[in-house]
Amino acid sequence: MKALMMAALTVGLAAGAQGPKLVTLPGRSALVTFRIVFLTGAAEDPAAKPGAAALTAAMLARGGTREKNYKQIVDALFPMAASVADQTDKEMIVFSGTTHVDNLEAYYTLLRSMLLDPGWRREDFGRLRDDAVNFLRVSLAGNNDEELGKEVLYNTIYAGHPYGHHDVGTVSALQSMTIADLQQFYREHFTQANLVIGLAGGYPAGFAERVRADFSKLPVGAPKAAAVPEPKPIHGIQVTMVEKNTRSVAYSIGFPLSVKRGDPDYPALLVAQAYFGPHRESGGRLFARLRAERGLNYGDYAYLEYFPRGMFVFEPDPNLARQRQIFQIWIRPVEPPTAFFALRAAMFELDKLIRDGINPEAFERTRLFVTKNVNLLTKTKSAELGYAIDSGFYGIPEYGAYLKQGLAKLTAEDVNRAIRKHLRLTDLEIVVVAKDCAALRAKFLANEVSPMTYNSPKAADVVAEDKIIERWHMDWKPEDVRVVPVEGVFE
Amino acid sequence: MLRIVCLLVAGAVAALPADAPRKAFPYAYDQHDFPNGLRLVTIPTDYPNVVSVFIVVQAGSRNEIEPGKSGFAHLFEHLMFRGTAAYPPAKYQETLKAAGAASNAFTTDDFTAYHTTFSKEDLETVLRMEADRFQHLEYAPAAFRTETLAVLGEYNKNSANPVSKLFEVVRDTAFDHHTYKHTTMGFLRDIEDMPNQFDYSRTFFERYYRPEYVTLVVAGDVTPEATRGLVEKYWGEWKHGSYQAAIPQEPPQTGSRTNHVDWPTPTLAWIAVAFRTPAYTDIEKDQAALDLIGFLGFSESSELYRKLVIEDQKVDLLRADDSAHVDPGLFTVFARVKKDSDIDGVRDAIVAAAGGFREQLVPAARLDAVKRHLRYAFALSLNNSEAVAQAAARYVELRRTPETIDRLFDVYDSVTPEDIRAVARKYLVDDGRTIVTLTGGKAK
Repeated sequence: MKALMMAALTVGLAAGAQGPKLVTLPGRSALVTFRIVFLTGAAEDPAAKPGAAALTAAMLARGGTREKNYKQIVDALFPMAASVADQTDKEMIVFSGTTHVDNLEAYYTLLRSMLLDPGWRREDFGRLRDDAVNFLRVSLAGNNDEELGKEVLYNTIYAGHPYGHHDVGTVSALQSMTIADLQQFYREHFTQANLVIGLAGGYPAGFAERVRADFSKLPVGAPKAAAVPEPKPIHGIQVTMVEKNTRSVAYSIGFPLSVKRGDPDYPALLVAQAYFGPHRESGGRLFARLRAERGLNYGDYAYLEYFPRGMFVFEPDPNLARQRQIFQIWIRPVEPPTAFFALRAAMFELDKLIRDGINPEAFERTRLFVTKNVNLLTKTKSAELGYAIDSGFYGIPEYGAYLKQGLAKLTAEDVNRAIRKHLRLTDLEIVVVAKDCAALRAKFLANEVSPMTYNSPKAADVVAEDKIIERWHMDWKPEDVRVVPVEGVFE
Repeated sequence: MLRIVCLLVAGAVAALPADAPRKAFPYAYDQHDFPNGLRLVTIPTDYPNVVSVFIVVQAGSRNEIEPGKSGFAHLFEHLMFRGTAAYPPAKYQETLKAAGAASNAFTTDDFTAYHTTFSKEDLETVLRMEADRFQHLEYAPAAFRTETLAVLGEYNKNSANPVSKLFEVVRDTAFDHHTYKHTTMGFLRDIEDMPNQFDYSRTFFERYYRPEYVTLVVAGDVTPEATRGLVEKYWGEWKHGSYQAAIPQEPPQTGSRTNHVDWPTPTLAWIAVAFRTPAYTDIEKDQAALDLIGFLGFSESSELYRKLVIEDQKVDLLRADDSAHVDPGLFTVFARVKKDSDIDGVRDAIVAAAGGFREQLVPAARLDAVKRHLRYAFALSLNNSEAVAQAAARYVELRRTPETIDRLFDVYDSVTPEDIRAVARKYLVDDGRTIVTLTGGKAK
C-alpha cells in the first residue's frame, strides 16, 4: 500500500496540467476519507481582495449548491454524521471529510456538487462574510491573545509579501467583497492543474478514477509558474506591541527560515526543535526552564512550520504546506510583573541553544523521539493521507520513511551545525500582546533590570542564570518598537 | 494485521438503529479487577505499533468539598508531573522522550485522566513509570509552589476568552451547594491561594490517588494477558484507601434564575440557557432523552439553527451541552449573538424551543435521524487507538466499564417521541432554569 502511494507521489504535485492528480491509500476499512486539495490559497488573493480564497472555500463547504440550499445540505449530511470541512492556507485549500462506506454514494454526490456546482447564494455569502469578520475581530483579536500574537507575527514578517495577510483576509476587504470576486477566484484557481484528489479507505474499485473523471469538468488551468519570493530582511530587533485590555502578556518571536521539508537541514532542525520546544510536550528545554523550574507561565514551545490553533490541538493539521516558513517561539501568557524577565529568559535559552547546541546523549534521545513520534502524527487515515499529499508538495517520499532515512545518518554535530547556520538572536520580530504597552516599551528601551522574585527557593543554577537573564541586553531602537491598538490589526 | 483492523472497523460502523442491534463499542475488551481495587481495561484494537494508556482517577473538581479549595483536582494533575525518588522530573521526561510518547493529562468535573500514547515496545516502561508516580509521588514545598504558578498561567491564558467567564457564572448561579458550583479551573481567589496549601495537596493525594479510585485503560497493539501481567507486577502492591467524599447534594431548584456578565472588552454577546438535569444513567431514559433533545433542538440540523443562524443570521454559534455527570448537572444551550439588540429575542427563541418539547411530539423520522447521527458520529470517532482509549475513558469515569457505552446506546434506540416529551416535562421546566447573558464593552 505504501508502495502504491509512493508511486503516486513521485509524480509530484506541481508537475503540470495533466488533469487532477490522485493520491490514494486504498484499504479495506469501512470508512472512506476524502482530502480534496487545491494548490492555491491566500497567497493568490487579488491584491485588493485579501480573504477571497478563504471566503470562496467557505462558500463551497458551508454554503448551498445550485440544486440544494445550505439547510438541505446540512440535513442530508446530518444522519451520516459526516461533514465537509474547509481549510484555507497560503498555498493550499483542502476540503476534507470521512464517511462510512454505506453512505459513500450519498456523501460523494453532495461533496461533488458542493465543489463543482456551488450555489453562490446571497444569503450564504452574507452569513459567511459575517463569520469571517467575526472570526478576525472577535474570536482572534478579541478572545485569543495567543493566536493573535502568532498571526500578527506572520503578518509583520511577511508585510508586503503574498503571505502578508491573515488567511481569512482583512475586515475592510471582506466588507467590500462581492460574490463576483469569489466566482472569479473560483474560475481562475479551482482548476485541474491545481487539484490533488486524496482518497483513503475502503472505496470500491474504480471509484478513484470516477472521482478524477468527475473533477475533470473543472477548467484545465495552468501549472504554477512563479515561486513564492523570500520576505524582506529584518534588521535588528523589531517589536510590535498590540495594546489590549487583557490580564497577562503573550509573546511570539520569530524570523524567516530558509529550511522546509525536503531541504538537507530539515531533519537536523526538526531534532533541534524537538529538543528545544516540542509542541505541547513537557519534555522541551524551553518548557523545563521557563515553566517547570520558574513557573513563569503555562508552556513554551518552538516551531519550524506554520501551526495554527496550537492551543486547541496536539498534532498539527496537515495540508498547511508552504514554500516559505518561519522559526517561531511561543511564550504563553505571563503575569505582567514577570513579563520582561520571561522575554529575556526566552532569548537566553535561544542563545544557549545556538551556543551550546545539543549534547550527544540528548541528541540520541531526541532522535529516537522524532523517529517514533511520527507514528502518532499519522495515527488516523485522514492524517496519513494529508501527510502523503504534503509530501507530494515538498517532493519527498512518504513522511515517516523520509524522516527515518534523514535521521539515520544524522549526528549531534549535524544538528548543532544546522542550529548555528539557521537560528539567530537578532534580525527577528517580536510580537507582544499586553495592556499598558507604553510602560512595558519604556522598560524594554531602557533595558531596565528585571529581577525575579519567587514564592519558593530556587536551585543554584537557576539563581545563577537569573542574574544573567535579568540584565540580558537587547539592542532595542525606539523606532523599531511600535505600539498598535488591537482594534486595527486585522482591519 | 491491516486486514483485521479493517474488519473490526467495519463492525463498528455497521451498528445502526435500523439494523440488527450491534455493539456501539465494537472492541472485545478484557476487564480485570485486582485485589487492591484497581481495575484494568485492556482493549486490543489492531491498529498496529501504537499503544495508548489512559489512567482514569475518579476524582475531579466535584471532589473539592472544602471551602477555598476549588481547583485542587486540576492542580493535582499538574503535581503528578513533579516526580518521584526513582523518576525525578528530568528522568521522567527523558524516558517519555525516548519512547516517542505524546503525554498529557486533563481534569473535568468528575475525573482526572493521565494519558500517554507511544510505541508498543515501550509498554512496560510506561506502566512501570506510571505505577511509580501514582504510588510514590514526592514533591517538595518549593516545587509545589512553583507548580501553582503554572496553574495561574493556565488561568491567564484562558482569561482572554469570555466563554470561560460565562461558564463560571452559569455554574455559580445555578448551584448553591453542590461542588459543580465552581468550574474545574476553580475560583481565581483559590488559585492565588494555592501556594499556601501544600499540606492540603498531600491530603488530596492520600484520599484519591488510591487503587479503588483508578481504572487503567490500555488500548492498541496489546494483548490482555501480557498487559495484566505487567500491571500486576508494577501496580499490585498499591494500597487500598478508605476515604469517601461527602459531596453536598443540591436540592431541586424552585425558581428561574438570571445573571449577567459585563465583559470589559468588545466581544459578541453570549446567552446561556441552562436547565438542571439528572445524574448519568444508562438504565433510565432521562439522560439519553436529554442528549437527543440537544441534537433535535439545538444542533445544526435543528429548526432553531435554521431560523437563527441560516435565515435570520442573528446568531453565529448555537449548541447544547448535555455532558454526562456523576451527579445531577446542567443541560445548557449556548448562543453567540451578533447584535446586542437581538439578545432578548434570541433568549426567548431558545426558551420557546426548549418549551416546545414539553408540548409537541417530535416526528419519528427526525428522532431516527438523530439516533443515526449519534451512532455514526461515535463510530467515526474511533479511528485510532488513542481515540478508542479516550472514548472508553470518558465512560469508565462514570461506571468503571466500557459496557455502559452499549447500554447507553441501547437506551438511545429505545427512546420514543413520547419519552422525549415526558423527559422535557420533567427537566426543561421554568423553575429549573438559569439564564446568563454576557455583553462586551466598547472599543477605545
